[in-house]
Amino acid sequence: MTNVALLNNHDHRALRVQAGASARYGDNQRFVAVILGEFPHLVAHYPILLTKDQNTGAFFAGAMLGFDEGENLFLDERGMETYRPLNLQRGPFFTAGTEVAIDLDSPRVAAGGKPLFTEQGEPTQYLQSIMALFRDLKPGLEMTKTFVESLVGLKLVEPIDIDLAFDDGSKRKLTGLYTVNQQVLSALPDATVVDLFRKGYLQLIYLMMASLKQVPVLARRKNDALLKPSAQLAGA
Amino acid sequence: MVKPIQNIVIVGGGTAGWLTAGVIAARHRGRIEKGTFSVTLIESPNVPIIGVGEGTWPTLRTTLEKMGVSETDLFRHCDAAFKQGARFARWTTGAENDGYYHPLMLPQGFTQVNLVPHWLEDEQGRSFCDTVTPQGALCDEGLAPKTITTPEYQAVANYAYHLDAGKFAPFIQKHCTMKLGVRHVLADVQTVNMAENGDIKSLTTEQAGEISGDLFVDCTGFRSMLLGKALGVGFKDCNDVLFCDTAMAMQVPYETPESPMASHTISTAHSAGWTWDIGLPTRRGVGYVYSSNHISDDQAEAELRLYIGPQAKGLTPRKIPIRGGHRETFWKNNCVAVGLASGFLEPLESSAIVLVELAAKLIAEQMPANRGVMDIVAARFNDVNHYRWGRIIDFLKLHYVLTKRPEKFWQDNTDPASVPDRLKNLLHLWKYQPPWFFDEFDRIEEVFPAASYQYVLYGMGFKTDVAPGDNNGTHSMAVSYMNENAAMTRKLRTQLPKNRELVKKIHEYGLQPI
Repeated sequence: MTNVALLNNHDHRALRVQAGASARYGDNQRFVAVILGEFPHLVAHYPILLTKDQNTGAFFAGAMLGFDEGENLFLDERGMETYRPLNLQRGPFFTAGTEVAIDLDSPRVAAGGKPLFTEQGEPTQYLQSIMALFRDLKPGLEMTKTFVESLVGLKLVEPIDIDLAFDDGSKRKLTGLYTVNQQVLSALPDATVVDLFRKGYLQLIYLMMASLKQVPVLARRKNDALLKPSAQLAGA
Repeated sequence: MVKPIQNIVIVGGGTAGWLTAGVIAARHRGRIEKGTFSVTLIESPNVPIIGVGEGTWPTLRTTLEKMGVSETDLFRHCDAAFKQGARFARWTTGAENDGYYHPLMLPQGFTQVNLVPHWLEDEQGRSFCDTVTPQGALCDEGLAPKTITTPEYQAVANYAYHLDAGKFAPFIQKHCTMKLGVRHVLADVQTVNMAENGDIKSLTTEQAGEISGDLFVDCTGFRSMLLGKALGVGFKDCNDVLFCDTAMAMQVPYETPESPMASHTISTAHSAGWTWDIGLPTRRGVGYVYSSNHISDDQAEAELRLYIGPQAKGLTPRKIPIRGGHRETFWKNNCVAVGLASGFLEPLESSAIVLVELAAKLIAEQMPANRGVMDIVAARFNDVNHYRWGRIIDFLKLHYVLTKRPEKFWQDNTDPASVPDRLKNLLHLWKYQPPWFFDEFDRIEEVFPAASYQYVLYGMGFKTDVAPGDNNGTHSMAVSYMNENAAMTRKLRTQLPKNRELVKKIHEYGLQPI
């Protein structure tokens, strides 16, 4: 359950929040929604794919962190050493209009975490970093939505089925994932290509295509994890 | 030099006219863009559209997709909802719990094994439908045939639509004129001008002068202004087989806007005919189709009101005469009829729109290159259409002949003199072998495949002799398909949303194109 309240330095002066990456606090996600500005960071580690929102059917972009439900292959006891997507970084915080809100029932809201306000009621550096994060994330979500809609409108989106067989004999068949169709891209009229380039979309499209090379890398990580006795899944 | 066929003139702006225009224009888009082909639709500004058919066939999905129509738009503009087949209530004995489904999904493994004899041997007491397909169970629970993440026109369970026919024609019109380059002329046809060889040369209109063409499509409804009137092609009644000659329809509001919406047509037998009950998002369309020789209009109205219940209070029924039958020829000289102009049958299996689609597709695909080869195509078209209408009449009659209801209307229906020979022979044959793949339903575009006959026959308790052990050769395969069906049924029941819930979501979020 969630119990969301607008953050203020009166009621929430003493709150502390666990900011680090941990399965206990919800970083154990196999697919995390991302924004365009993150693509260059993501491509170094994760496949960037599209999938559909189960409630609305709308496409959104995300980073694939694992294969099974609740699996983040980049998470271990020390946290997440690779780039941590903003949607994980934001922890228990949301935006409500121009203000920051917090889910008071989140397990992250716990003693021993980072303070949000100084004794004088000023935002701490941590809270300031969260506010800065939302300055990127909020418009970023809109821009990403527009980008994804353009891809769909240009019929550039195609389903990609990922079939994997691991050394322990188990298999995975991932469905409901989508990427950019290279042939459709090559066949676009010049004017459209220039338009995509001017908007900065072309570069993002190439990042998405390049990120597919992370699928086998991710699979190797999974394979290693499966074969490692006892030291079962990261961060659990 | 033989005259090339380049200018198609369609008369009539109802569902048939616009669907035909759309199918032909989409198929010949390249030529229209080059300017070597044209599709013109002449619509009278004064003649109201009949708007027949709120039930459709799954074929409509392909037809609309090929025309480039967005399915999301269809839901939003035509008050559309999902249809997964029909449930026939009280057709066999008339008892409260008497009913069966004619779903739109084929039985599991239909091309591999005929499940009928295995079901007949099976003693679990499950209905045929529930044994071979999940669709009846989905309809029982009012579930949609897909989810919000399923792309446009794709299905989890096969489906068609219920829609508001009055909104459908203008919707297709807009697409045809804006996207497909169809010329729309609002004018009343005054004279049909004939050439010496019996072809139609041109049409003189009141508002738009003379319009000439190479091929004329008659979509003028029951009047059949071109094929029937101008070319004198007669009408062949089928009231000796199908007795219903009147419909009485009402638009019934839901109790609340959130009331459940059935994802199938509910067809209920009454004393002298049957009612359709079609759930659209905003209202139900309900109508009584009956034989005026067996019941008076007043009695029919009373039965209709009894069926609808308190919701019928204050509603006035609309009476529509039905003339079952079809033109003796469908394509003569350079004139072809589509829709009501070609014929009409009681809407028991929603055959009206599917017949338009199939006819339009055949015309579009077989579009004769020139007048010299048109008669060859016309002969083929007539052959196919005679076959189709005949098979549909047979199939509609099948619903009646197996009844055990005592009323005169129903007993008259079982009179062998009223059963077409072909159907009579098949019923005789099927006492000893169940229909399947190798039956004579072998056309590429069969309206009702053998599976449809299976659902009706065994839904109505038809008996086919099956000796124990005769089917051991395919027993294990059949069992595995039946088990697969049970597993699929369980899975789909948990995955699929309610019909109304999904339609609401489509209005709000839309379906994705992929």
